[in-house]
Amino acid sequence: MVVASQEALLAQMRRGTLQYCVLSLLADDERYGFDLVRELAEVDGMVTSEGTIYPLLSRLRRDGLVESSWQESPAGPPRRYYRLTDAGRASLEGFVREWARFRAAVDHFVERKAS
Amino acid sequence: MNSTADRAVTTYLKRLDADLADLPRARRREIVDEIAEHIAEAQAQHPTQSEADTRTMLERLGDPADIAADARQRFGVVRARPGWMETAALVLLLFGGFVFGVGWIVGLILLWSSTVWKPWEKLLGTLVIPGGLAGSVFVFSLWATGAGGGHSIGPCTTNAGETCTTGGGSDVLPYVGFGLLVVAPLITTPYLAWRMRQRGELATV
Repeated sequence: MVVASQEALLAQMRRGTLQYCVLSLLADDERYGFDLVRELAEVDGMVTSEGTIYPLLSRLRRDGLVESSWQESPAGPPRRYYRLTDAGRASLEGFVREWARFRAAVDHFVERKAS
Repeated sequence: MNSTADRAVTTYLKRLDADLADLPRARRREIVDEIAEHIAEAQAQHPTQSEADTRTMLERLGDPADIAADARQRFGVVRARPGWMETAALVLLLFGGFVFGVGWIVGLILLWSSTVWKPWEKLLGTLVIPGGLAGSVFVFSLWATGAGGGHSIGPCTTNAGETCTTGGGSDVLPYVGFGLLVVAPLITTPYLAWRMRQRGELATV
Protein backbone atom coordinates (compact mmCIF):
# COMPACT_ATOMS: atom_id res chain seq x y z
CA MET A 1 0.00 0.00 0.00
CA VAL A 2 1.37 3.40 -0.97
CA VAL A 3 0.23 5.96 1.57
CA ALA A 4 0.06 9.67 0.90
CA SER A 5 2.97 10.46 3.20
CA GLN A 6 5.16 8.06 1.27
CA GLU A 7 4.25 9.79 -1.97
CA ALA A 8 5.14 13.11 -0.37
CA LEU A 9 8.47 11.74 0.84
CA LEU A 10 9.37 10.46 -2.61
CA ALA A 11 8.41 13.80 -4.14
CA GLN A 12 10.62 15.61 -1.64
CA MET A 13 13.51 13.22 -2.31
CA ARG A 14 13.16 13.77 -6.04
CA ARG A 15 13.05 17.52 -5.52
CA GLY A 16 16.04 17.52 -3.23
CA THR A 17 18.26 15.42 -5.47
CA LEU A 18 17.22 17.07 -8.75
CA GLN A 19 19.63 19.90 -8.04
CA TYR A 20 22.57 17.47 -8.05
CA CYS A 21 21.34 15.78 -11.20
CA VAL A 22 21.43 19.18 -12.87
CA LEU A 23 24.91 19.91 -11.49
CA SER A 24 26.07 16.48 -12.72
CA LEU A 25 24.76 17.14 -16.20
CA LEU A 26 26.74 20.38 -16.22
CA ALA A 27 29.92 18.78 -14.84
CA ASP A 28 31.39 17.87 -18.22
CA ASP A 29 29.89 20.39 -20.53
CA GLU A 30 27.89 23.60 -20.56
CA ARG A 31 24.28 23.29 -21.67
CA TYR A 32 21.30 25.50 -22.43
CA GLY A 33 18.01 25.19 -20.56
CA PHE A 34 16.00 23.37 -23.18
CA ASP A 35 18.78 20.82 -23.64
CA LEU A 36 19.04 20.23 -19.88
CA VAL A 37 15.30 19.75 -19.58
CA ARG A 38 15.27 17.27 -22.44
CA GLU A 39 18.04 15.18 -20.85
CA LEU A 40 16.34 15.14 -17.47
CA ALA A 41 12.92 14.33 -18.90
CA GLU A 42 14.34 11.32 -20.77
CA VAL A 43 14.95 9.52 -17.49
CA ASP A 44 11.69 8.18 -16.15
CA GLY A 45 10.55 9.39 -12.75
CA MET A 46 12.89 12.34 -12.36
CA VAL A 47 10.85 15.33 -13.49
CA THR A 48 7.08 15.55 -13.47
CA SER A 49 6.69 19.05 -14.89
CA GLU A 50 9.59 20.26 -17.01
CA GLY A 51 8.97 23.90 -16.16
CA THR A 52 10.10 23.35 -12.56
CA ILE A 53 13.70 23.11 -13.79
CA TYR A 54 13.73 26.86 -14.34
CA PRO A 55 13.08 27.98 -10.76
CA LEU A 56 15.82 25.51 -9.80
CA LEU A 57 18.28 26.97 -12.31
CA SER A 58 17.44 30.44 -11.08
CA ARG A 59 18.13 29.37 -7.50
CA LEU A 60 21.41 27.65 -8.44
CA ARG A 61 22.59 30.75 -10.23
CA ARG A 62 21.66 32.91 -7.29
CA ASP A 63 23.58 30.63 -4.96
CA GLY A 64 26.60 30.90 -7.25
CA LEU A 65 26.68 27.18 -8.08
CA VAL A 66 26.16 27.79 -11.81
CA GLU A 67 26.70 30.75 -14.09
CA SER A 68 25.17 31.54 -17.44
CA SER A 69 26.14 33.30 -20.64
CA TRP A 70 24.41 34.02 -23.91
CA GLN A 71 25.57 32.30 -27.07
CA GLU A 72 24.33 32.43 -30.63
CA SER A 73 22.37 29.42 -31.78
CA PRO A 74 22.93 27.91 -35.25
CA ALA A 75 19.17 28.18 -35.75
CA GLY A 76 16.68 30.21 -33.78
CA PRO A 77 17.08 32.71 -30.94
CA PRO A 78 20.29 33.03 -28.84
CA ARG A 79 20.64 30.55 -25.99
CA ARG A 80 21.48 30.98 -22.35
CA TYR A 81 24.19 28.44 -21.56
CA TYR A 82 24.79 27.21 -18.02
CA ARG A 83 28.13 26.17 -16.66
CA LEU A 84 29.32 24.89 -13.28
CA THR A 85 31.24 27.30 -11.05
CA ASP A 86 33.98 26.12 -8.68
CA ALA A 87 31.49 26.32 -5.82
CA GLY A 88 29.08 24.22 -7.86
CA ARG A 89 31.73 21.59 -8.50
CA ALA A 90 32.63 21.45 -4.82
CA SER A 91 28.96 21.14 -3.87
CA LEU A 92 28.47 18.30 -6.35
CA GLU A 93 31.55 16.42 -5.12
CA GLY A 94 30.42 16.73 -1.53
CA PHE A 95 26.99 15.40 -2.41
CA VAL A 96 28.31 12.50 -4.48
CA ARG A 97 30.42 11.30 -1.54
CA GLU A 98 27.56 11.50 0.93
CA TRP A 99 25.09 10.04 -1.52
CA ALA A 100 27.25 6.96 -2.07
CA ARG A 101 27.47 6.37 1.68
CA PHE A 102 23.77 6.98 2.19
CA ARG A 103 22.70 4.78 -0.71
CA ALA A 104 24.98 1.95 0.48
CA ALA A 105 23.57 2.24 4.00
CA VAL A 106 19.94 2.10 2.86
CA ASP A 107 20.67 -0.69 0.38
CA HIS A 108 22.33 -2.69 3.12
CA PHE A 109 18.98 -2.97 4.90
CA VAL A 110 16.33 -2.88 2.20
CA GLU A 111 18.05 -5.18 -0.28
CA ARG A 112 18.67 -7.93 2.27
CA LYS A 113 14.96 -7.83 3.00
CA ALA A 114 14.02 -7.97 -0.69
CA SER A 115 16.20 -10.98 -1.55
CA MET B 1 3.07 28.78 -36.33
CA ASN B 2 -0.57 29.69 -36.23
CA SER B 3 -2.25 32.33 -34.16
CA THR B 4 -4.28 29.97 -31.94
CA ALA B 5 -1.09 28.29 -30.76
CA ASP B 6 0.49 31.72 -30.25
CA ARG B 7 -2.46 32.71 -28.12
CA ALA B 8 -2.11 29.55 -26.04
CA VAL B 9 1.55 30.43 -25.40
CA THR B 10 0.71 34.03 -24.49
CA THR B 11 -2.03 32.90 -22.10
CA TYR B 12 0.32 30.38 -20.53
CA LEU B 13 3.06 32.95 -19.91
CA LYS B 14 0.57 35.45 -18.52
CA ARG B 15 -0.79 32.90 -16.08
CA LEU B 16 2.72 31.95 -15.05
CA ASP B 17 3.63 35.57 -14.45
CA ALA B 18 0.51 36.09 -12.33
CA ASP B 19 1.10 32.91 -10.32
CA LEU B 20 4.67 33.98 -9.55
CA ALA B 21 3.46 37.25 -8.02
CA ASP B 22 4.75 36.34 -4.54
CA LEU B 23 8.35 36.08 -5.71
CA PRO B 24 10.82 38.97 -5.77
CA ARG B 25 10.45 40.82 -9.05
CA ALA B 26 13.88 39.86 -10.44
CA ARG B 27 13.34 36.11 -9.77
CA ARG B 28 9.91 36.25 -11.28
CA ARG B 29 11.12 37.92 -14.46
CA GLU B 30 14.03 35.50 -14.74
CA ILE B 31 11.78 32.44 -14.53
CA VAL B 32 9.20 33.79 -16.97
CA ASP B 33 11.96 34.82 -19.42
CA GLU B 34 13.58 31.41 -19.30
CA ILE B 35 10.36 29.56 -19.86
CA ALA B 36 9.59 31.89 -22.77
CA GLU B 37 13.08 31.01 -24.13
CA HIS B 38 12.31 27.31 -23.67
CA ILE B 39 9.14 27.71 -25.73
CA ALA B 40 10.94 29.75 -28.41
CA GLU B 41 13.65 27.08 -28.59
CA ALA B 42 11.08 24.31 -28.98
CA GLN B 43 9.41 26.27 -31.76
CA ALA B 44 12.73 26.98 -33.48
CA GLN B 45 13.65 23.30 -33.42
CA HIS B 46 10.28 22.25 -34.82
CA PRO B 47 9.16 25.05 -37.12
CA THR B 48 6.26 22.96 -38.39
CA GLN B 49 4.79 22.51 -34.94
CA SER B 50 1.03 22.10 -35.00
CA GLU B 51 -1.29 23.58 -32.43
CA ALA B 52 -1.55 20.16 -30.80
CA ASP B 53 2.26 20.00 -30.56
CA THR B 54 2.36 23.39 -28.88
CA ARG B 55 -0.29 22.35 -26.38
CA THR B 56 1.59 19.14 -25.64
CA MET B 57 4.77 21.12 -25.04
CA LEU B 58 2.95 23.47 -22.62
CA GLU B 59 1.46 20.48 -20.84
CA ARG B 60 4.92 18.98 -20.39
CA LEU B 61 6.17 22.23 -18.97
CA GLY B 62 3.45 21.83 -16.37
CA ASP B 63 0.69 23.86 -14.79
CA PRO B 64 1.88 27.43 -14.06
CA ALA B 65 0.49 27.05 -10.53
CA ASP B 66 2.72 23.98 -9.97
CA ILE B 67 5.79 25.79 -11.30
CA ALA B 68 4.99 28.76 -9.06
CA ALA B 69 4.51 26.48 -6.02
CA ASP B 70 7.88 24.88 -6.76
CA ALA B 71 9.52 28.29 -7.18
CA ARG B 72 8.11 29.48 -3.84
CA GLN B 73 9.60 26.42 -2.17
CA ARG B 74 12.96 26.88 -3.88
CA PHE B 75 13.19 30.47 -2.77
CA GLY B 76 11.64 29.93 0.65
CA VAL B 77 8.81 32.35 -0.05
CA VAL B 78 5.81 31.78 2.17
CA ARG B 79 2.56 32.40 0.38
CA ALA B 80 0.81 35.35 1.94
CA ARG B 81 -2.16 34.04 3.89
CA PRO B 82 -4.14 36.67 5.76
CA GLY B 83 -4.78 35.89 9.42
CA TRP B 84 -5.62 37.63 12.70
CA MET B 85 -2.61 39.93 12.29
CA GLU B 86 -4.05 41.54 9.18
CA THR B 87 -7.50 41.93 10.71
CA ALA B 88 -5.97 43.50 13.82
CA ALA B 89 -3.92 45.83 11.63
CA LEU B 90 -7.01 47.15 9.88
CA VAL B 91 -9.07 47.57 13.08
CA LEU B 92 -6.20 49.33 14.84
CA LEU B 93 -5.47 51.59 11.88
CA LEU B 94 -9.07 52.76 11.97
CA PHE B 95 -9.79 52.96 15.71
CA GLY B 96 -6.40 52.46 17.40
CA GLY B 97 -5.73 56.19 17.43
CA PHE B 98 -8.32 56.62 20.20
CA VAL B 99 -6.12 54.53 22.50
CA PHE B 100 -3.69 57.39 23.18
CA GLY B 101 -2.52 57.10 19.58
CA VAL B 102 -0.50 54.01 20.51
CA GLY B 103 -3.06 51.62 19.01
CA TRP B 104 -2.62 53.21 15.63
CA ILE B 105 1.15 52.79 15.78
CA VAL B 106 0.73 49.10 16.65
CA GLY B 107 -1.64 48.84 13.67
CA LEU B 108 1.00 50.48 11.50
CA ILE B 109 3.65 47.98 12.58
CA LEU B 110 1.29 45.09 11.85
CA LEU B 111 0.41 46.59 8.47
CA TRP B 112 4.03 46.91 7.37
CA SER B 113 5.12 43.52 8.67
CA SER B 114 2.34 41.73 6.79
CA THR B 115 3.19 40.18 3.42
CA VAL B 116 -0.38 40.36 2.19
CA TRP B 117 -0.32 43.95 0.93
CA LYS B 118 1.84 45.53 -1.71
CA PRO B 119 4.06 48.49 -0.69
CA TRP B 120 1.83 51.12 -2.26
CA GLU B 121 -1.21 49.70 -0.47
CA LYS B 122 0.69 49.92 2.82
CA LEU B 123 1.57 53.51 2.00
CA LEU B 124 -2.10 54.21 1.35
CA GLY B 125 -3.01 52.68 4.71
CA THR B 126 -0.35 54.80 6.42
CA LEU B 127 -1.10 58.16 4.83
CA VAL B 128 -4.91 58.00 4.71
CA ILE B 129 -5.20 59.11 7.46
CA PRO B 130 -2.37 59.16 10.03
CA GLY B 131 -4.01 58.27 13.34
CA GLY B 132 -7.07 56.81 11.65
CA LEU B 133 -10.43 58.22 12.74
CA ALA B 134 -8.78 59.72 15.82
CA GLY B 135 -6.48 61.58 13.44
CA SER B 136 -9.52 62.90 11.61
CA VAL B 137 -11.09 64.11 14.85
CA PHE B 138 -7.80 65.66 15.98
CA VAL B 139 -7.23 67.53 12.72
CA PHE B 140 -10.83 68.71 12.79
CA SER B 141 -10.61 69.98 16.36
CA LEU B 142 -7.43 71.91 15.50
CA TRP B 143 -9.15 73.31 12.50
CA ALA B 144 -12.33 74.22 14.38
CA THR B 145 -10.50 75.97 17.23
CA GLY B 146 -8.23 77.64 14.68
CA ALA B 147 -11.17 78.90 12.65
CA GLY B 148 -13.24 79.78 15.69
CA GLY B 149 -10.19 80.99 17.58
CA GLY B 150 -8.10 84.09 17.04
CA HIS B 151 -10.09 87.21 17.73
CA SER B 152 -13.37 85.40 18.36
CA ILE B 153 -12.37 83.26 21.36
CA GLY B 154 -13.54 85.88 23.82
CA PRO B 155 -17.06 86.45 22.53
CA CYS B 156 -17.65 82.78 21.93
CA THR B 157 -16.75 81.60 25.42
CA THR B 158 -19.01 84.21 27.00
CA ASN B 159 -21.95 82.96 24.97
CA ALA B 160 -21.54 79.43 26.33
CA GLY B 161 -23.99 76.96 24.82
CA GLU B 162 -24.36 78.94 21.62
CA THR B 163 -22.47 78.21 18.46
CA CYS B 164 -20.00 80.74 17.30
CA THR B 165 -21.22 82.24 14.04
CA THR B 166 -18.94 85.24 13.84
CA GLY B 167 -16.94 83.54 11.08
CA GLY B 168 -19.88 83.81 8.71
CA GLY B 169 -19.83 81.65 5.54
CA SER B 170 -16.50 79.96 6.37
CA ASP B 171 -18.32 77.86 8.99
CA VAL B 172 -19.44 75.32 6.39
CA LEU B 173 -15.91 74.58 5.24
CA PRO B 174 -14.69 72.80 8.40
CA TYR B 175 -17.67 70.46 8.23
CA VAL B 176 -16.94 69.54 4.60
CA GLY B 177 -13.31 69.01 5.60
CA PHE B 178 -14.35 66.87 8.55
CA GLY B 179 -16.62 64.84 6.28
CA LEU B 180 -13.70 64.15 3.95
CA LEU B 181 -11.37 63.32 6.83
CA VAL B 182 -13.83 60.76 8.19
CA VAL B 183 -14.85 59.31 4.85
CA ALA B 184 -11.29 58.82 3.54
CA PRO B 185 -10.21 56.14 6.08
CA LEU B 186 -13.68 54.62 5.83
CA ILE B 187 -12.93 54.04 2.15
CA THR B 188 -9.28 52.96 2.32
CA THR B 189 -9.81 50.44 5.14
CA PRO B 190 -12.50 48.43 3.30
CA TYR B 191 -10.32 48.65 0.20
CA LEU B 192 -7.37 47.09 2.06
CA ALA B 193 -9.73 44.48 3.53
CA TRP B 194 -10.96 43.67 0.04
CA ARG B 195 -7.40 43.21 -1.28
CA MET B 196 -6.65 41.02 1.74
CA ARG B 197 -9.64 38.77 1.11
CA GLN B 198 -8.79 38.54 -2.56
CA ARG B 199 -5.28 37.32 -1.79
CA GLY B 200 -6.68 34.94 0.80
CA GLU B 201 -8.87 33.32 -1.83
CA LEU B 202 -5.90 33.03 -4.16
CA ALA B 203 -3.92 31.34 -1.42
CA THR B 204 -6.49 28.64 -0.78
CA VAL B 205 -6.84 27.63 -4.44
